[in-house]
Amino acid sequence: MAGTGHAHLRLDDPNILLRVRDLVVEFPAGKGQVVHAVSGVSIDLARGETLGVVGESGCGKTTLGRAVMRLEDAQSGTIEFRDHDLFGLGGSELAVKRRDMQMIFQDPVSSLNPRRRVRDLVREGLEIWGNESGPFSDARVEAILAAVGLAGESVGERRPHEFSGGQCQRICIARALVMDPEVLILDEPVSALDVSVQAQILNLLEDLKVEFGLTMVFVSHDLAVVRNVSDRVMVMYLGKVCEVANTERLFDAPAHPYSRALLASIPGHELNLPDASTLISGELPSPIEPPSGCRFRTRCPMATEECAEREPELREVAVGQFVACHHA
Amino acid sequence: MAVVDAPTSRTGDRAPGFGRPSMGFIFWLSVTWILLVVLAAALADVVPLRDPDALGVRTGEIERFETPGKNAWFGGDGQGRDLFAQVIHGARPAMVLSAAVTSIGGSLGVLVGVVAGYFRGRTDSVIMGVAEIMFAFPAIILLFAVSAVWGMTMAILIPAMAILAVPGYARIVRGVTIALAERDFVDAARAMGASRSRVVIKELLPLVALPAIAFGFLGFGLVIATEGALAFLGLGLEQRTWGSLIAGGQGLIREAPHLALIPATAMFLTIMAFNYVGDGIRELIDPRPIVVGRKRKADGHDPAISAASDALLSIRDLTTSFPTAGGTVTAVDGVSLDVRTGRSVGIVGESGSGKTMLLRSITGAFPVLGVQRTGRVVVDGTDLLTASPAQRSTMLGTEIGIVSQNPLTALNPVRTVGSQLIEVMRVHREISKAAARARAIESLAQVGIPQPDQRVDMYPHQLSGGMRQRVTIALALANEPRLLLADEPTTALDVTIQDQILRLLSALCEQRDMALVLVTHDLQVVRGWTDDVAVMYGGQIVEAGPTAAVFDDPQHQYTQALLASTPRLDLRPHSRLAAIEGQPPSLVAPPPGCRFAARCTIADDRCRAEDPMPVQIRDREFRCWYPGTGKVT
Repeated sequence: MAGTGHAHLRLDDPNILLRVRDLVVEFPAGKGQVVHAVSGVSIDLARGETLGVVGESGCGKTTLGRAVMRLEDAQSGTIEFRDHDLFGLGGSELAVKRRDMQMIFQDPVSSLNPRRRVRDLVREGLEIWGNESGPFSDARVEAILAAVGLAGESVGERRPHEFSGGQCQRICIARALVMDPEVLILDEPVSALDVSVQAQILNLLEDLKVEFGLTMVFVSHDLAVVRNVSDRVMVMYLGKVCEVANTERLFDAPAHPYSRALLASIPGHELNLPDASTLISGELPSPIEPPSGCRFRTRCPMATEECAEREPELREVAVGQFVACHHA
Repeated sequence: MAVVDAPTSRTGDRAPGFGRPSMGFIFWLSVTWILLVVLAAALADVVPLRDPDALGVRTGEIERFETPGKNAWFGGDGQGRDLFAQVIHGARPAMVLSAAVTSIGGSLGVLVGVVAGYFRGRTDSVIMGVAEIMFAFPAIILLFAVSAVWGMTMAILIPAMAILAVPGYARIVRGVTIALAERDFVDAARAMGASRSRVVIKELLPLVALPAIAFGFLGFGLVIATEGALAFLGLGLEQRTWGSLIAGGQGLIREAPHLALIPATAMFLTIMAFNYVGDGIRELIDPRPIVVGRKRKADGHDPAISAASDALLSIRDLTTSFPTAGGTVTAVDGVSLDVRTGRSVGIVGESGSGKTMLLRSITGAFPVLGVQRTGRVVVDGTDLLTASPAQRSTMLGTEIGIVSQNPLTALNPVRTVGSQLIEVMRVHREISKAAARARAIESLAQVGIPQPDQRVDMYPHQLSGGMRQRVTIALALANEPRLLLADEPTTALDVTIQDQILRLLSALCEQRDMALVLVTHDLQVVRGWTDDVAVMYGGQIVEAGPTAAVFDDPQHQYTQALLASTPRLDLRPHSRLAAIEGQPPSLVAPPPGCRFAARCTIADDRCRAEDPMPVQIRDREFRCWYPGTGKVT
């Protein structure tokens, strides 16, 4: 599989906040070759929904999130955010249009400038956008810090190294929230945290989602975490979409062979799936020369000649479940 | 405690106390000296000194070539001028010149370096190309040319030397900037809408300022020395400087050695002082965590894991501690554990729980110095803590195999997979190269590497992450150990590869009747792949037993809390997780009573005062005053 297509896009839904179509991101790999990081991926996000994006290293999930934020330049595609196409924009125009999208990164410690005080870090967005200074912004910074569970007089005066990893992630979330964003793109936000802290942050995100009316893209390799936070899940493999489905549907009845292999690999799972070793074989092909047709075919036990010749398109196999596979 | 699980990449939820490293005597002596020189430069006209130009031969106050003494502290020169006054007055041009050159050259260099390092690409190539050319050109010759054309005054020398200083700063700052620009906070600022110039000014400049200032102090010394060299060659400033004093005194080094030596000493001490202060500031740049607390007395407590007679690995009352700036960290505190042949034991815990140090305490390989171990670590009848080094290394090569978290660092990047396997085999046994090679191919096949006869001649970088981890397993198994120690062996791997590696380890255990100790932060890995589990918290094993039993019916409140905080596949999406509030205890000064009491929802005064007695019920054990559902005792 690993195919393209738009069957999963909800074209008539007036609640769609962000719609990405046929996004292609390629990185130069020297000698005129390119890494096909994201190859024609489409997503849409309904207001208030959390889209989980899962897949293994090299599947393009992080690049997808960064490209939507325009932190990576896409080769082609459209990124419609509230009826504005962000794709061709640059400079200040882009900054204005993208203001309502914010991003949270994997490593909270590296995401904070170590020399700056927490108050200044959180106030950064307000300063950039000009409505800084004065008691209004101070009050807002305090309120946001309290909302992420960092209340207290002295918090704002301290610097990142005085905080633990979990607390740093709270600061990062506060910094994003101060901008009053509509969409939050989270790239592995809890992967660097211990289990007990991870739970704190996941609960916090659920609370903030309601309180601030957030719509989220949650990129993660951890399937249990994604199941917990997502309304809809997209499975990616080697720059392509394998499957998009409502969370429970995906975990109860994964239809794409790669989704099945991925779920069967979760240690200690009790899902009704055969051993992962029977569902996937071999190694990840090079993203410089991805396989023809379905990109998963070289590792798929169900692959046939058709899979090499023709790329499968996403199609609906059950209500709310879209799969790009000739055999699913 | 920040150091305990340093090799893993996870950050726990604890905020260690931070402090500055103490700077030491020489640093403060240097600071004092610099302050004295600065005072001398500033106040030379104000303090009651003799006139440096007054000729002693006329006034009769100082004789020709008077030696240093009570009358004139530094003696007099050929015309009886007071050398002390001359040296004090000479401090001013030294300070003015180096301050001006360093601040002008430094600021320009920092700006150029940040721009080159942040924008990269063509900007970078052009800037660094010019810098390289300037580096290649000998500075002193350039200064000769400048002085030949325009003469040598401050107004000429300052800009000339400042321009020459720019590439040095630029190069250092560019390096720092490149490293910083890869960190996420730059992306975070961009995502928030910050312009590139704002990123440079607000995010990067403050961070490169400190390294630049450190370099600036070194530069200060260099400017003073360069001026000295110019003066020595007769091309110095037209006014009186230390350099001109030395140049003037050098011809009389036999008759009146103090004339050259005293200003030279002043110059030498000043340059040294700037260098020391620069080095000191450089050490300040990284605020290192220092755990604050007091030393805690050793606790000879004997916990109650029973001595199974057939245990291959038997750990008894193991305590591992090491000194840090904040006090002695007791990373492993009175741990006892038995691992029988053919069993796999998962040691699970969060960052700072001591799980990695426990594993390292078995092999004795530590990432820090000064580690002390007490207790017993017996493998197949040999106590590794009291064994001779030779005995220990034989045990490590043959009885015990080790698989680490990062296969890339465990393998030598410049040697083929095969040569590393062959070496490991030939160190511990008599075997011909050809036979060892055949065995190497066989062992690669055993760990599931396809085409082992080709892969044997490959280098680690030619293999995927999963294949590399298979190679480290093959290396660990090369001498057929009976005990395999694995530290987060799949943490760096993708989930489908993790499944393959854990499946392999589990199969090998069974086939070879090998014991496996698997250290991990991942409860699900333990649940899916080990027979027994030991849960660690605050350096202690708080609960141990068969994996299925512990996961189905956890007794210790921490185990329960840990399981409840883990996202599960059988919960509905958006289920609230039971997070554990608070932070793990300090390992320098752990609280009395139960280590988990401060974060436990049902802890009472007893928990906070008394160490829970270890309880053993059949094959399970735990140390908790209110096990199971709580206070029904």
